[in-house]
Amino acid sequence: MSEERKKILEMLAAGKITVEESEKLLAAISAPETETAEPGARPPFKYLRVLVEPGPGSENPERVNIRVPYKLIRAGLKWASFIPKDAQEKVNEALQEKGINFDFNRIKPEDIEELVSQLNDLTVEVEGKEKVRIFCET
Amino acid sequence: MLPMMLKMRVAGESGKRFSLIFPVILVWIILFALLLALLPLVLLAAILTCPWGPGFRLLAIYPLLIAVLFNLSGLHIDIQDARHELYLHFS
Repeated sequence: MSEERKKILEMLAAGKITVEESEKLLAAISAPETETAEPGARPPFKYLRVLVEPGPGSENPERVNIRVPYKLIRAGLKWASFIPKDAQEKVNEALQEKGINFDFNRIKPEDIEELVSQLNDLTVEVEGKEKVRIFCET
Repeated sequence: MLPMMLKMRVAGESGKRFSLIFPVILVWIILFALLLALLPLVLLAAILTCPWGPGFRLLAIYPLLIAVLFNLSGLHIDIQDARHELYLHFS
């Protein structure tokens, strides 16, 4: 374990920083290492994380913590080919009703691969009554 | 890698809690035996429906199912509110 990592964990244990701050700090110190290891080509993420926590002052104590392996997402998306054509047409119609001109039948396996590999950059943070975070973990 | 254990915890509105550490490998053994037993029927269906093609899609279920099962390891679901709780962890 590196010195910086150790210090961050000590600060967290001492209560000087919050769990979120420690996550950010740990991510910050590990980011340059991965960039220098493989410049240009980033390795795919390991997990997709979905965290929902009650926001400040929220009375709703709902908590969600989901971690989905990247390979499971890839394997699961391949089941899309089993969606019946009738259902695909209904999806197309529903999308067109919403003004989205998109043909579900035209999605190729390569497109799905591309889509999943680009999830690396995905970070969603929504703060309201609940704090929602969706991000990829390496 | 194929997950070997499933940790599960469910809590309901009545306050009852149910925890389980289940050797999920037992399910995979039964499932693979079942898939193997059904394979001749699936092959027959694939041959009989050859002109239309849907039988071949049945055959495709095998590799897809195996891909999903082998990548379940690491899946973690933890959902809780004031009354309910659901925790699943494949390892």
